[in-house]
Amino acid sequence: MNKIVKNILEVNQLHKNYGDFTALNEVSISARKGEILGLLGPNGAGKTTFISILTGLIAPTRGSASLFGLDIQKHALKVRQQVGLVPQEIVNHGFFTINQVLEFQSGYYGIRNNQKHIDYLLERLALTEHKNKLVSELSGGMRRRLLIAKALVHSPSLLLLDEPTAGVDVDLRNTLWDFVRDLNRQNVTVLLTTHYLQEAEELCDRIAVLHHGTLISLDNTQEMIKNLTDREVKIKLASSTPWPGMPAGLEIEDKTIKCRIAHGDAIGKLLTKLKIPMEQLEDITISEGNLEEAFVNLLQQHRNKPQ
Amino acid sequence: MTMMNEYTGFITLFRKECLRFLKVIGQTIFSPLISSTLYLLIFGVNLADKITSQNGVNYLMFIIPGLIAMGLINNAFQNSTSSIIISKFHGDFQDLKIAPLSTSSIVWAYALAATFRGVIIGVAVAMVGELFYWVEYDQFLPISNLFLLFLYILLGGVTFGFLGLSVAIYAKNFDQVSAVSTFILLPLIYLGGVFFSIETMAPIWKFLSQFNPLLYLINGIRYSFLGVSDFGPELTLPLSIGFMFLTYGIAWLSVKRGTYSRF
Repeated sequence: MNKIVKNILEVNQLHKNYGDFTALNEVSISARKGEILGLLGPNGAGKTTFISILTGLIAPTRGSASLFGLDIQKHALKVRQQVGLVPQEIVNHGFFTINQVLEFQSGYYGIRNNQKHIDYLLERLALTEHKNKLVSELSGGMRRRLLIAKALVHSPSLLLLDEPTAGVDVDLRNTLWDFVRDLNRQNVTVLLTTHYLQEAEELCDRIAVLHHGTLISLDNTQEMIKNLTDREVKIKLASSTPWPGMPAGLEIEDKTIKCRIAHGDAIGKLLTKLKIPMEQLEDITISEGNLEEAFVNLLQQHRNKPQ
Repeated sequence: MTMMNEYTGFITLFRKECLRFLKVIGQTIFSPLISSTLYLLIFGVNLADKITSQNGVNYLMFIIPGLIAMGLINNAFQNSTSSIIISKFHGDFQDLKIAPLSTSSIVWAYALAATFRGVIIGVAVAMVGELFYWVEYDQFLPISNLFLLFLYILLGGVTFGFLGLSVAIYAKNFDQVSAVSTFILLPLIYLGGVFFSIETMAPIWKFLSQFNPLLYLINGIRYSFLGVSDFGPELTLPLSIGFMFLTYGIAWLSVKRGTYSRF
């Protein structure tokens, strides 16, 4: 009977040094089958190093990593057969057309006569009309899309996206994320690094945060936002006139009070505390925290931590 | 990873490498062919009467297999190096590391594509040489041992395809590859018996030349073409095979452990 692999990705105590510089520091992460895991961090946090180790581009100093239950170093070829990588840097292929590049890429994965799938990818990525152009004739955005098509020619089970939308316009970003969602619905596991945190919030089931090579958070996206942000409550009043029992120091600006409450706290409790008369209450709006705030707060907390 | 997938990967990379040099055929085929033709015309035809016969044959006969060997070696080496260096510059060389291609597939695909280019040059030089010979002597120069010639050409092509691959993988820029080509390969080719017999050299150079592995390959090609050379196949064939295995080992280790990152 085949072993059922729940975790597509299992990384334990992964460590990478470049001379005296530690790029990754004992990182342990797992990704479940069919999830979208976001890997966030400031520039130089170790995200690309992490992805490069998973794809075999660089070897770890120590630690282990397995994909689909197979050690990435011992079963390198088997593992690579199921992984697609969209690298961060745009690649050129001076001598060949888009279609040729995708044919070659299919061949590297042992697939012959892959034109039907190549045509599908070209269509999804709006590259069909450019398929016979040399890669050097393409714009930056088209080359980015080509990288995505290259990563998908062999229908991988795990897609590694290393800042795939860096420098890409909004339309293309939306097209790409729709495509990623479709792939994910087909049970493709996705590991994504990006600096667009709003997109990460919408897409990712879980978020891992790296800082100076160390994993400082790994949590469900919504849990992470809840734990690291407050809710902003705006109370619109009928007038700016103070009321009896109004707490000292409470500021009213443009007939509005702004307060922050923790995610676990009830609105009723806040209103009781403020003692606002019912006839003064005009409207209440509540803004939930977002991933960007959570990310900034997390890094702030981490920087303030005694080393 | 099945054998079939492995084979498809190897064939794809081989095909891609051949298409690459055929896309720039002016640089990769015609340019070296023009150089060899000029060598044949100047040394083999115009100056042949003024140069002492070597290995007991006239100079045009002597130089034809030498120039075939030079074209083969030079172009096989340059095919691997220029392809990988350009690929590193473009950033697509890492595709090979990410894909499920075995080390042997990569090594052989590059080496055989390099051999293919070397063979095209070698055959073209042979045809031009035969044409000059026919003009000069009203007959074609017969090939002494076609099988042996094929074997030496294959050995020369893959050996220098392997070497080019190894150098390019460890090179950090174009200059490093160019330095190896200019300061190591070119002197070894020129002093390896392309233009003269080792017998004409001063004793010290003759002694030192015996450590030049190209001497045996070039003499092997000359022997199989003309039936005469400084050394017979009983020496040149095992040494050329040994050198081929050595360079294969170096290439295998380079592909396995070398850097694939872009410049």
